[in-house]
Amino acid sequence: MTAPFKQNSHLNPELHAAAPNLEKLFGRWLNTNRETRGIAECTITADKDQIKVSIVGVGEDGPIAWPIASAHAVANLEEEAGQRTGALMATFDFGFMRADTHIRINKGVLVIVLFATFLDDSGRSNYLNREFFYSA
Amino acid sequence: MKFAQISDQVETQNAEISRTALLGTWINSNLDTNSIARVKISETDGKLQLQVFAMGPDGLIDWGPAPGHVFAGGPASHAGVGFTCNYDFGFAEARLQAMIMKGLLVLAQFHLFKDDSGRADYFLREYFALSHDRF
Repeated sequence: MTAPFKQNSHLNPELHAAAPNLEKLFGRWLNTNRETRGIAECTITADKDQIKVSIVGVGEDGPIAWPIASAHAVANLEEEAGQRTGALMATFDFGFMRADTHIRINKGVLVIVLFATFLDDSGRSNYLNREFFYSA
Repeated sequence: MKFAQISDQVETQNAEISRTALLGTWINSNLDTNSIARVKISETDGKLQLQVFAMGPDGLIDWGPAPGHVFAGGPASHAGVGFTCNYDFGFAEARLQAMIMKGLLVLAQFHLFKDDSGRADYFLREYFALSHDRF
């Protein structure tokens, strides 16, 4: 019996293979842009069966440690250039703002794509951002 | 004002984010895709609405309409340059995160299975061009 699907890739036999390869994601990553006003660095670790993401934002008076988030790992089947390292989804909840991120490797560079949703009444626009990081 | 990174510390008016740049039909640049072939983005009652058509074994599969959430390029911007959208199929969820880059829509898809089929959650990232009739 065919498993339920909504697109051909749902039927890709590789989805039954091993867990996603995440080794290249682990470690400390520094922003390639030293003038960033966003994320300064990111550390990804494996803690027992969980993957943890720690982010440090650039603050007015020094670094701002974001609340540590648990990440959900996903396999990578078909990205361009044979890229196969898995990706992570992680949500950071600040109370006044929620940041939904996805994190992946592209040509040795860590890419963090962030979708920020403001939950306060500051009038700020929900926005997206993408920054690049090198392995420290 | 609270912020998690200094770029969030902006004073701005509470204006609506424009959806104009996102509207239209976006076509996958990969003719051999096994995934989403086309995304129709429209505005309904002042809100973003998506309709996704994906490649199936026997042709396109219409995922139906779903609300989208629009995102600007920064906290002080009011120009929409991306969106998120979630589809719940029962057996799986598809979470879409998209942004316009260099005129293309870069669409990241996260497929999370909820059934007992043993399939791994996975992601895809593909590029879409806005269809037009100028040339």
